[in-house]
Amino acid sequence: MSKDEIITIIAEHVRAVVPTLEAHQFSHDDKLKELGANSVDRSEILMMTMESLSLKISLVDLASARNIGELAGILREKLQSS
Amino acid sequence: MKNYNRAEILISGVGVTSAIGQGKEDFVSGLLQGKHAFEVMKRPGRQIPHIDSENEHGSPFLGAEISSLTLPDSLPRGLLRTASFSSQVALASLHEAWNDANLNGIDPVKIGLVVGGSNFQQREIVQTQKAFHERLSFLRPAYAFTFLDSDLCGLCTEYFGIKGLAFTIGGASASGQVAILRAAQAVQSGEVDFCIGMGALMDLSYWELQGFRNLGAMGPQRFTGEPALACRPFDKDRDGFIYGESCGAVVVERADSRQTHIKNPYARISGWAMTVDGNRNPNSSLDGEVRVIEKALSQAGLKTNQIDYINSHGTGSVTGDQIEVDAFSICGLNDAFINATKSLTGHGLSSAGAVEVIATLLQMKAGFLHPTKNLENPVEPVCNWVSHKSISHEIKNSINMSMGFGGINTAICLQKY
Repeated sequence: MSKDEIITIIAEHVRAVVPTLEAHQFSHDDKLKELGANSVDRSEILMMTMESLSLKISLVDLASARNIGELAGILREKLQSS
Repeated sequence: MKNYNRAEILISGVGVTSAIGQGKEDFVSGLLQGKHAFEVMKRPGRQIPHIDSENEHGSPFLGAEISSLTLPDSLPRGLLRTASFSSQVALASLHEAWNDANLNGIDPVKIGLVVGGSNFQQREIVQTQKAFHERLSFLRPAYAFTFLDSDLCGLCTEYFGIKGLAFTIGGASASGQVAILRAAQAVQSGEVDFCIGMGALMDLSYWELQGFRNLGAMGPQRFTGEPALACRPFDKDRDGFIYGESCGAVVVERADSRQTHIKNPYARISGWAMTVDGNRNPNSSLDGEVRVIEKALSQAGLKTNQIDYINSHGTGSVTGDQIEVDAFSICGLNDAFINATKSLTGHGLSSAGAVEVIATLLQMKAGFLHPTKNLENPVEPVCNWVSHKSISHEIKNSINMSMGFGGINTAICLQKY
């Protein structure tokens, strides 16, 4: 799965959790917090994304991601090594 | 903190959602017409998973469900995504009460919220656990706080900006009234100037429904195929309560809470009381009910002959209804008009006390008393029943009764303002 495909999945869940972003065009540089997702929203988005990817990892493994692009990158690596 | 022991306590706003109507206009019209919504319940999580058709105890559960809930457009969808059904109904009901009492512009630190009920999101929890049963590691993180009843307080205080106080308070089927009593105490003590007392929607799953059925508390046993006849408080053929979804919120304030006095409050809360029976079980107590009536009347400074309307607890319980009319008789209240709101709405459990206070206030305002559905052969002793049809009556002083499992009795006296 490509990084862009993972970003599409993340974006789908962000839109579900933060409906005001329905029309937002997501980019690699987007930061969830700056988009208005609070800490619970971010946990929800990550959990939904991990389920979509059938990826069972700890949330701690994703903590270093500074934006959606980096998050997709870490998820892609985890997918490849799982 | 000032103490306002002698302060006049008023009800300035109401909000209600029930199976016979959402909003006070719909609700009062449903009451007046003697409307009901009893049928086999359809909401997911209220069906017995494996029905044994040979076993009558496996028959579908009857009750009254809210057919469609209208939520205020201003509610953010993101907030609603993880809001339980009880919370959504609470937001809608509080929205109405808030606007009714015109709380916009009031300093939010002076406003409190007391939510009556405990364990009221059972169906929601059962459904979540069912959905994530085989994928536990992906359980939505918000479950860590949405399973708590107090999440309803969090949602309401966030949306309405309440900053005084907020908590849930449990009193079984008296919870709604206990919440109003606590709200009255909060404004009387000066903790806050305005306090919302709410009875939360008790969202039962098939587990609680089966428990009530097995306990013999919930009907019907006779009218299983005739939902319209099943709920019959105080009738000789009653055989248990019938559940009904509802939620009610009232705004309580002191007469001096605003710089400009509130115009046309619904009523004055003239007296209230709570007694307990020292009994863990579901059975009610004549002594406890008599004491709570006497205590409330004494606080209100009223004689029994001044009470002209009783909004009964009247659930359809075989023993509970009998004990309640016996208590009215002992207290000399037989001449006051009596009806049973649950005959129309069903028993909301945690919400009942608040919804029935609202039913009383709306009847007081409209000058009528609603019928008691299916009251064909009333239990004795003789009481002044409002049975088949609504009647015109100007309520001056009323008493509302609520009783809960575990020996809880409450009463509120309302006086026309």
